[in-house]
Amino acid sequence: MQEPVAGDVSTVLPSFPSQASLAADSYCIQRVIAEDPEWSLAIVPQLTELCLQHIICNFEKNPIMDRLLPEHQRKVLDKLSTGLPLTVTANLIHDEDYWKRCCTQRWQVCDVSNYGDSWKRMFFERHLENILKCFIPNITDPNQVLELIPLCKEYVWKLEVDQFLPPVTLDQKEEEDNFSDSGSDLGLSEVSMHHYDLGVLITALPHLEELNLTYGVKDCGMNFEWNLFNFTHQDCYNLAVALKKCHNLKILKLTRSKVDDDKARLLIQNLLDHPCLLELNLSHNLLGDKGARAVGKLINRSKLEILDLCNNQIRHLGAQALARALASNSTLTSLNLRLNCVEDEGGQAIGRALLTNTTLKSIHLGSNELSEPTAMLFSQVLAQNSTLTSINFSCNHIGLDGGKQLLQGLMDNKILTEFDLRLAEVGQESEYLINQILRANQERARLRSLQYPSVKPL
Amino acid sequence: MSRGAGAAAAWPGRRRRGPGPALTAPGPEERIAARRRRIAARLDAKRREALGEDAEAKTDEEEEEKEQRGSHKQIEESRQRLAKLLFDGTQLVTNVQVAVDSRETQRRAEEAELKLQRVERLENEAKTNACKFEAITSKWAVAKEKTVPQELWELLNQQQQQCTLLLEEKNKLIGELQQELKSKDEQYVHALKKQSDDIHLLLERMEEQIRNMLKNYRHELLQIEKAFELERQELLDDNKKKWEEAIQAHNAQELEDLAARMKKVEEFEKQLNQLQVQGVEEYNSMKSQLENKVQTLAKQLQQVKAVYQLNQEKLDYNLQVLKKQDEENTIIKSQQKRKLNRLHDVLNNLRRKLAKQEKQLREENQSLAADYERIVGQCKELQRTMRHFAVSDAEKFTEVWLMNEEEAKGLIRRAFDADRIIHTQQLGLPWEEPRYWFLNNVGPLRHYKAKRTATKLAAEVLTESSCGEEEEEGRGKGKDEMATGEGGRENPEKSEDRVRPLQNISKTTVKRILELVSDESGFLIESKLLRLLQPLGKHERTLMKLDSIFAALEIDSEDDLYQLVDFFLKYKAQEVAVTQSQAAPHGQEGPASEDPADLAADTANDGSSSQRTEVTSSRSSLDSLPSVYIHADDILKILKAFVRDFDKLRGKDDSAKDLLRGWDSSKDGEYWNALAHAIPESKLKLWDALMVALEKYHNILAQRASLITEVAVLQQQNSELCLLLDQYMTSKVNSELLSPPSQWMDLKLPSPEEAQ
Repeated sequence: MQEPVAGDVSTVLPSFPSQASLAADSYCIQRVIAEDPEWSLAIVPQLTELCLQHIICNFEKNPIMDRLLPEHQRKVLDKLSTGLPLTVTANLIHDEDYWKRCCTQRWQVCDVSNYGDSWKRMFFERHLENILKCFIPNITDPNQVLELIPLCKEYVWKLEVDQFLPPVTLDQKEEEDNFSDSGSDLGLSEVSMHHYDLGVLITALPHLEELNLTYGVKDCGMNFEWNLFNFTHQDCYNLAVALKKCHNLKILKLTRSKVDDDKARLLIQNLLDHPCLLELNLSHNLLGDKGARAVGKLINRSKLEILDLCNNQIRHLGAQALARALASNSTLTSLNLRLNCVEDEGGQAIGRALLTNTTLKSIHLGSNELSEPTAMLFSQVLAQNSTLTSINFSCNHIGLDGGKQLLQGLMDNKILTEFDLRLAEVGQESEYLINQILRANQERARLRSLQYPSVKPL
Repeated sequence: MSRGAGAAAAWPGRRRRGPGPALTAPGPEERIAARRRRIAARLDAKRREALGEDAEAKTDEEEEEKEQRGSHKQIEESRQRLAKLLFDGTQLVTNVQVAVDSRETQRRAEEAELKLQRVERLENEAKTNACKFEAITSKWAVAKEKTVPQELWELLNQQQQQCTLLLEEKNKLIGELQQELKSKDEQYVHALKKQSDDIHLLLERMEEQIRNMLKNYRHELLQIEKAFELERQELLDDNKKKWEEAIQAHNAQELEDLAARMKKVEEFEKQLNQLQVQGVEEYNSMKSQLENKVQTLAKQLQQVKAVYQLNQEKLDYNLQVLKKQDEENTIIKSQQKRKLNRLHDVLNNLRRKLAKQEKQLREENQSLAADYERIVGQCKELQRTMRHFAVSDAEKFTEVWLMNEEEAKGLIRRAFDADRIIHTQQLGLPWEEPRYWFLNNVGPLRHYKAKRTATKLAAEVLTESSCGEEEEEGRGKGKDEMATGEGGRENPEKSEDRVRPLQNISKTTVKRILELVSDESGFLIESKLLRLLQPLGKHERTLMKLDSIFAALEIDSEDDLYQLVDFFLKYKAQEVAVTQSQAAPHGQEGPASEDPADLAADTANDGSSSQRTEVTSSRSSLDSLPSVYIHADDILKILKAFVRDFDKLRGKDDSAKDLLRGWDSSKDGEYWNALAHAIPESKLKLWDALMVALEKYHNILAQRASLITEVAVLQQQNSELCLLLDQYMTSKVNSELLSPPSQWMDLKLPSPEEAQ
């Protein structure tokens, strides 16, 4: 329990030693000058240099930036310490190089392309994520987050928090020290188990477009306890209310968080008629048929384009509900139902929905206990549907006959480019033939994509 | 449980073998197929290249195209190969995920089965144990009934044993479940390990894939670059070859050209030499010729120069003269110009004046025209008012006339009454009322006549003259009687009208003229009318014709007709000399002589006697003109002349016509005088005498009357006195008196009745 906290403190710390090193540097320079036999007045630095040096040294107390000439600005920015407090730098410095230095100094791996090619955005997003990851309710001062809001709200577009720490009390810690085994969770009251409420933060970020949350603890090792991964009803409620106020949100990912039917319904109730939401990812949760029904409702009452429900507990009833929604939907392009238990009834329902749907491009039904009847229906779908480009039936029990029927359905299809039938017991022959057809289709798609840009400039 | 453990144990083994043949099976196969395809494609390409080499000899262009295609093909091939590689690589990588997925599904299925079994077992266990427990509890009731301690002890022991059995069973179950849990934990650890292995494998594969792809990409890039390089090299070689060939060809051509040029130069040199020689010869001959010509020309020049000198002098003189003239001309021209300007000014002034005057005159004209119109309007207005006043005057006149007449007649009637009374009462003579014409007259006297149309007149003239002719032959008189039968009033007017034209012209002359006109001027009548007239008698036809002719000639009234006739006669008179004697037998003496006799009768009937007398007096002076013989041919000429002059004549007539309507006030005076003298002089004298006598008589009567009154007064006085006396006599005083008077008087008084 203690370990992650300690680790987090160490990650927060690095801002301190940089100042010390700076002081050491200046001392070093002084000493070198004093001992330098060739030192003379001729190489006394220019007054501007000295001034700039002074500005750099006292930047924290007296930040001067806008009034400098561009070349001087450049110099100052190059030499500014990365350890300056954010209250000074956040809204004053927009130079990417400075923030690049900050990032590279703090993190080893920095892929700026994930952050819209903006180092500043990367810095603030990751800084905020770090703080949230290490936030322990009732212990960490909430002002730590609140103070940061005015500094970072202009630069945060995406939040990716894969860890929320549960609240910890001292006596419990002792208890845990004594009995590292499970059982101590009985002492934890439900009230104290709530995680940090994102409501204040999320609603204060005007540009937030992507939210990627996981209510769980990373690297718990042997300190594993079930209640570390408890996404409580109160948490869910807080999150749902906050999401409702987030009008710019486009992507929501809530994975590995034990979201069951009730919580899913609560969330979705607040997401209905959301103006921007395009992608919803509830993979690796505990969604059942009721949750699936709620998602089905959401599909037709939002602009959702991508829906990922992989690794849930959706059975044929939920699949049928989704299929009904899909039949009348015209926005969804991608649906992922991997690792559910839809079975043939649900698969057939989805197949029937795809006979009328004209927007869905990609569907993943891997590991769903599907068998021949679904394959029969999908051969029909393949013959009729002209939008579907990708189907995944891997790890199902399609069988040899099902494979042949799928092959038959695929004969006239010119659109489908991906059809995953690995471990589907289809038989090598039909799989090979299907792959041939797919390759031809891919070639066609490539030519089409080559044609369009060539047509455009004309 | 054993199945689950077996499966768990089997997985790592399988994992260690990597993705396994089942997973990678499509990979190698496809790879083999792809490799085969690649080999085939390369062979094809080689073959094509070989063919291309053959074809190279044929044409350069084709080769180029093929080369181009070769590089493209290389790119295409590389792309396909890379796509294939990429696909296979991703397959390889994702295979791990798929395998894990399938394992997971399997695990889940097994887990579900195990769960079912476990639940079933637990339920069975619970059931059996519940039965046992019930059996035990039921025995407690039996134990309570036991009174013998030994039995009870036995039973308790039994119970204890059973309880321990039950507990043992339960413990066994718990132990089994715990065993299961442990194995599950182990499985979990295994699974964790396996998953970490999987992840490592995944990472490995991904890295390998990346490395592979990088290598392949580099390789393919190299290949493509090589292909391009080769192609470029070939192209370069080709072009170089071509270039060299072209250069060589060009050089050869140049040499040939040079040789040809040299040859030509030599030829031209020869020709030049020849030409030079020829030219020198020609030049010499020409020189001598020209020198001769120069000499002759010099001579001519001398002559010409002399002539020129002469001409120059002459021309100088002329020039001088002309210059003088020119100067004069310029002076004159300037003068003329000045004059012209002045005249232009004058002209402009005059024009301006003219315009002004024209304008003035136009304005004047307009104002005068306006005045004229205004005056005409005034005149018309005046005429209208005049007519109006004339009518009102006439009315007033008649009214005054009637009033005065009535007054006068009243007076006359009174005079007649007085006369009658005088005659009957005073004179005792029979009285006879006098009868005067003017007493019957009411209103002013009428003496104007109604106008007749020319046609009517013509008809009358014609009929009458025809009758007159007959009468002339037979009886000279009685012409008037024929017309008088109609009525007293019309007749005199007619006779008067008829008489008027005859002031100058005889009736027969008129008739003849009219007949001639009707015969000769048929062109004025419409042909349709002529046709219609055919069936009629001669007399009627003539009338109808005349009617239409008059309409054509615009002859409306009788006056016009008279003028026509007059014109005829005047026209004739100009040409022909007329003898008085010829006309005499046709004169209209007859009617003139008879008139006085008629007059007496007329005056008795009408009040127009005075007019009649006038007419007759004028007629008496009438001297009938001779009936002129007019030739038919002249009619047309005369008619033309008449039509020309007709308008003039008519204008004059209009004023004359109005004069005829004036009043004859002299007759009114007579009329009124006659009224005033209705009582004759003799009768007045008689009345004077009678008045004197009556006055005398009146005086006498007046005296008598006064006397009578006097008598009456006296009688009255008398009677009154009688009464007084009587009174006194009868009074008391008398009796009292010594001597009454009555006694001594003795008088007899007459009674008042008697006095009266």
